[in-house]
Amino acid sequence: MSETVLEVQDIVKTYNQGLPNEIKVLKEVSMKINKGDFVSIVGPSGSGKTTLLDIIGCLMRPTSGGVFVDGVDVKELGDSELANIRGNKIGFVFQQYNLIQTITAQENVEIALRIMGKSKGDAKKRAKELLELVGLGKRLNNKPSQMSGGEQQRVAIARALANNPSIILGDEPTGNLDTKTGEKILNLLKKLNNENGYTIVVVSHDPNVTEYVDYTIHIRDGEIEKTTNGTTTNK
Amino acid sequence: MIDFAFKNITRQRTRTILTTLGIIIGIAAIVALGSISEGINQYITASLELSAGKIIIQQRGSGGFQGGFAGSDITDDDLEELGSIDGVKEIVPMNLYFSMGRGMSFGPGMVIAGIDPERSEFLVGENIEMHEGREMEGGETGVMMLGFVFAEQRDLGVGDYFELKDMEFEIIGILEKIENPNVDDSASVNIVDIQELMGVDTYQMAYVVPFDIRDAEAIAEEIENSYEKLSATTPVELARQVGEIITQIRLFTLGIGGIAAVVGGLGVLNTMIMAVLERRREIGVMKAIGATKRRILMQILTESAMISLIGGALGLAIGALVVFGIVLASGGQLPAQVTPGLAAGSMIFALMLGIVGGVYPSIKAANLDPVEALRYE
Repeated sequence: MSETVLEVQDIVKTYNQGLPNEIKVLKEVSMKINKGDFVSIVGPSGSGKTTLLDIIGCLMRPTSGGVFVDGVDVKELGDSELANIRGNKIGFVFQQYNLIQTITAQENVEIALRIMGKSKGDAKKRAKELLELVGLGKRLNNKPSQMSGGEQQRVAIARALANNPSIILGDEPTGNLDTKTGEKILNLLKKLNNENGYTIVVVSHDPNVTEYVDYTIHIRDGEIEKTTNGTTTNK
Repeated sequence: MIDFAFKNITRQRTRTILTTLGIIIGIAAIVALGSISEGINQYITASLELSAGKIIIQQRGSGGFQGGFAGSDITDDDLEELGSIDGVKEIVPMNLYFSMGRGMSFGPGMVIAGIDPERSEFLVGENIEMHEGREMEGGETGVMMLGFVFAEQRDLGVGDYFELKDMEFEIIGILEKIENPNVDDSASVNIVDIQELMGVDTYQMAYVVPFDIRDAEAIAEEIENSYEKLSATTPVELARQVGEIITQIRLFTLGIGGIAAVVGGLGVLNTMIMAVLERRREIGVMKAIGATKRRILMQILTESAMISLIGGALGLAIGALVVFGIVLASGGQLPAQVTPGLAAGSMIFALMLGIVGGVYPSIKAANLDPVEALRYE
């Protein structure tokens, strides 16, 4: 019924392949994310959830198996095409925010647009709109060091939205925030999903997260253990 | 990309300034030393032009051209013998009187040349024009003809008197300025006056002029072989000797400047390696949000090129100031100047240093694994 934006088929990730310390982090994982889904991937440390996110986000290639973003098989792509997929189709939100400390909030969003070839003027305008969307319309010219963790994460979300990606990937986006601020961020993501139709996948071991999402993929020892529906309390 | 590059290099302000300073010193050294050696080159070449087609005679073992002909005593008898050689058109003897002068200046001080007034073109060239007054006439003594700069620096005019030891000379003419320091800074008197001034009846050197310039080498050889006392140097030979000296001066100065600049380039390399290390996470983020390897590569290269170009431009300016200062201190005698070629060459060299210094760090940055870079603490 729904359009698939992301599909992984039997992906395997092995580190130190062929060496005595070989370790298989992902064992034939398959999943599909549809347009408009808000999904969380949870699991204990070392379960392979971060590796799965890195592969979905085209930051890393799987040892075997296929990854399809908007129907494109990324296995076939070269490094620079992969970079283009990351820029155009995927928006990242990290636990550490990963903003550039020496430039303003607006410039942090602009840089994502400029990298993908937008003109300076267009990038400035769109960055302003996006920061307004995440509630930072008055903090455009503040540098990350002048902002709280929650505000910095909002800037990171605005940056992730910059090129109108098909999917937004969050790597523990609330991991560095207190519970209350974390909830605000999750509410913002929920709003972006509900009102703006963004597809969002969040990796977390924060049990709160499962309450905001449509469904949760539980991962353990490199395999999908089960998929549960969200409690949809805030929906 | 350029605006981001500028922001990036100004992050570690002190480090960038110090790195730029390395390039500034190197390029300033190249510009200053290069201009000065070019100036020396022009100065010597200008001296040579005047003696083209002539054989220079001096006493064997004397100081030679650079040594002011100290100890060279050529007699009238010698001149007569030289005049009898086949193919010799004429012989023009010359004496030079050296004085340290009064001014506080570098350079050769004051040189008064004594020559037969009818042969003054041997000193000042063929196509000379008078700025003021007239040329010396044959047999005229007690008079002096000045180069333009010589007169200007000492505020002398036609009709003034110039004292040398206990002799007094009337200034009868000032030459037009011709941008050749050998002429512009000269003063000439009748050779008889110089002999009296120096208390000698001999000559320090003589020009032997062949009927045919092509015979100059053969005549010089004959003089070398037949006269134990005299040595003969042709302009060709002199040019070769001088050329060797100039080449050595050039290699030496460019070598020093080059070493300084390469050290500056190493500074750029070091700084960019540090910058890439510090910004690992940021480079990871850039990759995650779509930057290609090429883009990262160009970003880092732009930054290092920017440091070296800023350093190069400032180095060029400072080098030019140093040259200007030296020219001023030499009282305009050293015609050193920053030629467009030297300016362009030093900027290209600076850019090259920046690019070479940026290649390794930029490749390192471009090949960073985004996953590792993003989680780097």
